[in-house]
Amino acid sequence: MASIKDFNGYQPTWCPGCGDWGIGIAIKKALVELNYSPDQVVVVFGIGCLGNMNDFLNAYGFHSLHGRALPNAIGIKLANHKLPVIVVVGDGDCYGEGGNHFIHSCRGNHDIKVIVSDNRVYGLTTGQSAPTASKGYRSKSTPLGLIENPFNPIALALNSGATFIAQGFAGDINHLVLILKEAIIHKGFSLVNVLQPCVTFNKVNTYQYYLQRAYKLDSSYQRDNFKQALEKSLELNEEKFPLGVIYQKESVCYHESLSQISSITLVEKKRFLDYDSLIEGFV
Amino acid sequence: MTFTWKIGGEAGFGIMTVGLIFSKIASRLGYHILDYFEYPSLIRGGHNAYEVCVSDEEVTALKKEIDILICLNKETFQKHKSRLTSESFVFYDKEEFDFEDNFKKINIPLKKIVADLKGPAIIKNTIALGASLAILGGKIEVLLDLIAEQFKKKGDETVEFNQRFAIAGYKEVKKNYSALITNFLVEKKEKKEKLVLSGNEAFSLGAVVADCRLYSAYPMTPSSSVLHTLASWQEKTGMIVLHAEDEIAVINTVLGASFCGVRAAVGTSGGGFSLMVESLSFAGMAEIPIVVFLAQRPGPATGMPTWTEQGDLLFAIFSGHGEFPKIILAPGDQKEMLELTLKAFNLADIYQTPVVVVSDMYLSEAHKTVEKDWFKKIVAEYKINRGKTNLTQNSKARSKKLEIFLRYKITDDGISEKIIPGTPGYFYQENSYEHLEDGHTTEEAESRKAQVEKRLKKWQTYLKNDFQQPKFYGDEKAKIVFISWGSTKGIVLAAQKRLKERGIKTGFYHFNHLYPLDKEKVFQLLKKDNKKYFLVENNALGQFGKILAMEVGLEVEKKILRYDGRPITVEEIIDKI
Repeated sequence: MASIKDFNGYQPTWCPGCGDWGIGIAIKKALVELNYSPDQVVVVFGIGCLGNMNDFLNAYGFHSLHGRALPNAIGIKLANHKLPVIVVVGDGDCYGEGGNHFIHSCRGNHDIKVIVSDNRVYGLTTGQSAPTASKGYRSKSTPLGLIENPFNPIALALNSGATFIAQGFAGDINHLVLILKEAIIHKGFSLVNVLQPCVTFNKVNTYQYYLQRAYKLDSSYQRDNFKQALEKSLELNEEKFPLGVIYQKESVCYHESLSQISSITLVEKKRFLDYDSLIEGFV
Repeated sequence: MTFTWKIGGEAGFGIMTVGLIFSKIASRLGYHILDYFEYPSLIRGGHNAYEVCVSDEEVTALKKEIDILICLNKETFQKHKSRLTSESFVFYDKEEFDFEDNFKKINIPLKKIVADLKGPAIIKNTIALGASLAILGGKIEVLLDLIAEQFKKKGDETVEFNQRFAIAGYKEVKKNYSALITNFLVEKKEKKEKLVLSGNEAFSLGAVVADCRLYSAYPMTPSSSVLHTLASWQEKTGMIVLHAEDEIAVINTVLGASFCGVRAAVGTSGGGFSLMVESLSFAGMAEIPIVVFLAQRPGPATGMPTWTEQGDLLFAIFSGHGEFPKIILAPGDQKEMLELTLKAFNLADIYQTPVVVVSDMYLSEAHKTVEKDWFKKIVAEYKINRGKTNLTQNSKARSKKLEIFLRYKITDDGISEKIIPGTPGYFYQENSYEHLEDGHTTEEAESRKAQVEKRLKKWQTYLKNDFQQPKFYGDEKAKIVFISWGSTKGIVLAAQKRLKERGIKTGFYHFNHLYPLDKEKVFQLLKKDNKKYFLVENNALGQFGKILAMEVGLEVEKKILRYDGRPITVEEIIDKI
């Protein structure tokens, strides 16, 4: 059985106090508790502070371009659907640059596990405002205050067909581990939006900010109720942050609908050789 | 005997369907064909025309004169009459329009037959096809068979209904124009079975034979029919064919699959390729094999979507930011399309880098007859070469200690071994950042330099092992020498033939391994001072000429260029000599 140590790569270079430390530990812990070892998982990393985990986490890794981790993950899953595919990205990467991929990955219910660090800023490029930043947020790229409304990842994922949607907090690692384990086990598209304070560039959405406004969904919460989940997603507008699994639904995922790989993975299949049957149509 | 049959009418009137049926009729009767479909970027309205050049021998180019013109509307006659001669047959419906008596006029009462037999207006195409077949002395049975094959899923009644109209057209000619019937399309006694293949279909077949297991694309003319063809085969072949949300998703899905050891390809045209190029650079950096099928159309921007041009060569060669190796291949015809597609998948795996197969609308959509035996031979001879990729997933016993695999190990040939994700006992990452031999990100100068040199080394290895010189056609002693690449091949060959008939000897270097070029070898080939070189390209800048100047140091001053969206013609080449 693998241990946390087996998953440890280089020493992380995140800022002291950054929420990514908590996310990084939670991911490793979830993988260990699910009994995976580094040679049994694929992790696709986006470009951003959290994406730099490529060097800090031992696994079959794929360090993508900014914004493109989701389609990479889909290709990996289609090629070898036996491998769990985890995507580690930031809010700018997943909701900004890769926004179109996010919508369509939800739609396809692709069996990939998307973990987004939502710190509402672009950390790696020194603090410009991200799609999830609040209206009026002042940053290097929006010195006069952000004009747009914030992007609502939970509501968008719900309306786009994602079958597992959860929200975690980087300041509560144990709770995040529970969520991540459920997300990884879930069959279909999983989104875990992790509220992650950026201690260097975001002086508004701090640990204190979330401690005051985030709350855990209790055991009476029905995660299969779409309308209720939608209501929960809209609490963002009141600066309230439900933590836990907001929505989950059993549904056939993309690769399960493909007869080509119903009995064997794409990479392991035997080569097709009956070309004669194809050329009949050209005579 | 070589003749051109052409049908024209309004878009939405089944011009393409009957055109392809005519090509297949000629092929089944033992003839060679080359066809070409002209259409605007519209689903209804506008003018569509389909021409088929038929011959006893291989057809490499279209011909100027139209010998049989079927006008489903007046516009067809007006648009194409300049290519008619006094010997040309012109099919029309007098009730719709009439014209001067300078041609062999064949009046077929299309409108009346449709009314009498209670058919939809679109079926005029079938009546006219039947009528033209009669004039050509072709067997109606071949047409009836093709109709049966086309409609068999819809049941016998639909088959017979459609056949009725073909027969009506056929009988009309037999009854009223029997004196004009020719033997142009009389069934050949000896015939080899042939396939009627477009460039896109040849690519599709090549992808299947090469064991491509994932093809992703976003629809874009003129590449879309690859998506359609492969999608229609997927249950049979087991290939996953994915129409993703945009071209960026397309290429990144394929890169993910390729990382896992699956042969995969994308197809697009210039606009879609523009969206892909950042990810092409990723493939270069992370050393991920990928085959890109690039079917060009006239740009820039949306350009002229349904017309032809070779305007994206320089873009393909220089696509992607940063310095990384890529291989550019450009087939000259349908046969080369199959051969080079097969090769492209091997090269992508051997060199773990992008390979771009460049086509254009003319090559992608035109059909040409290819002998079935040739296809079988090529396929039987093909050997898959996965290079240094180990797909076995059993390189190490599970119980041993985990090790990081040196995915980017420095080697003499620039190519590193690869095991696939999931192989027990190991792990590694493929990385879009500059990296160390083990895949970890680095910004350290020496390692950076070593990895840059390792990647570029793959080009040298390619030039040594897999680069092919241009193919030479014609007379080696000739003073006049053509240089071209891609789809202009057949047109130059046809021009050479015509010039030879006039006593003018020519030579022709046709390039299909376009980049990188072996500077020394190509220089030795082309440096001869006593030759008069003519560069033939379907673009305005003479793009391959620029590559020759830049890479080989040879300037070709005489250029035959066309950039109005139409393929170059044999006549314009002859005129410029």
